[in-house]
Amino acid sequence: MSQLISRSDLTAWINALLAEYTVIAPTKVDSLALYQPVKRADDIFMDFGITALSPKEWLFPPTETLFTITTQDGTMKLEAPPLDGKNLIFAIRPCDARGFRLLDKVFLAPPADTHYAQRRQNTTLIGLACSKALPQCFCTSVGGAPNDASDVDVLLTEVEEGYLVNIVTEKGQAAVAQAKLIEKDVTPPSPPNLKPVSTEGIVEATLRAYNDDYWERLADRCTHCNVCAFVCPACYCFDVRDHINQGKTERLRCWDSCQAPGFTRVAGGYTPRPTKGARLRQRFGHKLLYYPQQYGDLLCVGCGRCIASCPVNIDIREVMEDLQKLGVKSVSARA
Amino acid sequence: MALDYQPKIVGFLCNWCSYAGADMAGTSRLTYPPNIRIIRVPCSGRVDATLVTKCFQQGADAVLVAGCHPGECHYSEGNYHARRRFTVLRELLSFLGIEKDRLRLEWVSAAEGKKFSQLVSEFSAEIAHLGPRKDNGKAAGGSL
Amino acid sequence: MNQAIRDKAKELLASGAVSCVIGYDVGSDGINARPFFAYTEEEADGLAFDQTCTHNLVKYLIDRAGKATAIVVKPCDARALTVLINEKQVKREEVFIIGAVCHGIIESTWGQKGSDLQGRCQTCTQHTPLVYDLLVGEPMAEPTPKAPLDHRAATLANMSVAERAAFWAEQFQRCLRCNACRQVCPGCYCAECFVDQLDPEWVGIRIDLPEKWLWNTIRAFHLAGRCVGCDECQRVCPVNIPLGLLNHKLEEEVATLFDFRPGVKADVPAPLETFKKDEKLGIGE
Repeated sequence: MSQLISRSDLTAWINALLAEYTVIAPTKVDSLALYQPVKRADDIFMDFGITALSPKEWLFPPTETLFTITTQDGTMKLEAPPLDGKNLIFAIRPCDARGFRLLDKVFLAPPADTHYAQRRQNTTLIGLACSKALPQCFCTSVGGAPNDASDVDVLLTEVEEGYLVNIVTEKGQAAVAQAKLIEKDVTPPSPPNLKPVSTEGIVEATLRAYNDDYWERLADRCTHCNVCAFVCPACYCFDVRDHINQGKTERLRCWDSCQAPGFTRVAGGYTPRPTKGARLRQRFGHKLLYYPQQYGDLLCVGCGRCIASCPVNIDIREVMEDLQKLGVKSVSARA
Repeated sequence: MALDYQPKIVGFLCNWCSYAGADMAGTSRLTYPPNIRIIRVPCSGRVDATLVTKCFQQGADAVLVAGCHPGECHYSEGNYHARRRFTVLRELLSFLGIEKDRLRLEWVSAAEGKKFSQLVSEFSAEIAHLGPRKDNGKAAGGSL
Repeated sequence: MNQAIRDKAKELLASGAVSCVIGYDVGSDGINARPFFAYTEEEADGLAFDQTCTHNLVKYLIDRAGKATAIVVKPCDARALTVLINEKQVKREEVFIIGAVCHGIIESTWGQKGSDLQGRCQTCTQHTPLVYDLLVGEPMAEPTPKAPLDHRAATLANMSVAERAAFWAEQFQRCLRCNACRQVCPGCYCAECFVDQLDPEWVGIRIDLPEKWLWNTIRAFHLAGRCVGCDECQRVCPVNIPLGLLNHKLEEEVATLFDFRPGVKADVPAPLETFKKDEKLGIGE
């Protein structure tokens, strides 16, 4: 027996959730699907393949104030910014939820990042299993699945009668408290088939390729924008700078990307990664070598956003394939 | 519009003519409204579009750029460049939702204290009449 | 056409006239083209040209200064190249231009085959590049000019100032400050962009509306009289900000005020680089 919620009850449930949570859900903005806070269930756009941006911004915002410093009558006052309330990300794809698992390893490792930890604690994830795969999808090759429930609190799966509701965690249990669930014998649909990408030996292959010309060749066409990093659910690099305005100092943390020429620039102007190839190597090195060495998993969830958004079609699947071939035989034509 | 609305105007005045013109207004005891905040620059041609746009970003109600009359630029041609630059910038800002009238380029010589005082009075009245920015300061990051 | 490009590329590479041919090959989706650098005769066999070749490749020439390079250009790209040559970023004698007759580029996204022409191509007035060393494809009659298709341009012109401000605030709000618009733009080649400058810190690192607004305004302004309307900035924007609208607005202004079209003639400075002493522009008079 499975738990099921009808389409009309789903609307009622979301409206009930709105009283308790800030509900962040896919919405249609111009021609894009984006995760945005919604005011009513009707604003939610459920027929999205994948949103243009991952929902990572709701746990790791593009700009956040770490603290502010004000000086008054000779004394300095340090203040933390106010806490967010309870958030609920509705209809998060399993790959995007897996992105949070990868961010957790970085931000929650002791000493945990206070801001991220607080948001993580206060956020409930209601997953939505994928019913179809897009050409750029490859989650099954990097440890995920279109119906993977392991990183969400509740997983919804669309069926003819409505949505199957798989409650995974206590947080999820609390979120469905107001949902009208019915017990019914429904067979969950089989997940879509994805074309597999080999990741065998990719860590060693990336290490082996460290000094290869491959990177400069690949960087020939790279434009060095930050699109890949900013659309990625797993990229987490940031820049910290103080902003002083009218006696008030704010310490800011903002998204940054290893592809930006200024990313590694240090005081005095020296840049340890001056070439485009060195920067591109850093991107793939972080995803396929350094992160896996430190935390086990590849720093990629297979959502394919970077593939579809890249202005010049740098495809991580091709890069992995090329890296595996390097050292076996020379690969250059495609780079 | 409420009478107590006081627009904030940034004035970029060239060192050789307009700043001296403003000085002349002062020494001649001519009054003009205190709504203008004056910044002395070497030349109207030095006023980068980014400086003006940044003023609007920071919440200025209007920007005045004043320089030497055409043909009288201390650096020969700075004001000619300024003329083209701000003609185009005005169109762009208007397209983005900032009225053209909020950006003015004027020629004020060192002898034209009276012109300067009249100019600022007029401009200030005009902007007060136009009222606060229509983008609700949405683009504004701070206050002037 | 493909064969003509490949043959010439091989000839140039074999003779050592150039060390690299920049063109297109087929992307990882098997549908859409992507930029491709051929360094050997063997690699030159990968070169191709079709109606998905949307990228403006001329920006790559800036990084190849001092190295003889051949490049495949569409008519719009050729104009961008003329801008770069005029601005002394590219030396004409270092470039072998393979001009492609262009029937328009198809609007498509990665992984999907498109069918309609891109908006810019529907109103384009040039099928044949104005400058080339070798022309590939059959030259055809040039179409008559048409009004821009993006209905938003006309809608915006009729809006009130407040409505326009609201429109742009909504559009810019989505900006991620990923700089993709800058990175693909052939006109954006400053060694240090104003947005990256630390002293003075024009923009700062915040990814918030004021910073997005300032960035997008100045980006557009810096291209006034220099933008050829290739719309690459708009194509690569991951959040679909209609940057082309801003560029086209300035393109129109520059055409009206100074009777100037960027990249058409060699050795003519951009309108904001120069002036006429006695011109009347309706400002400062």
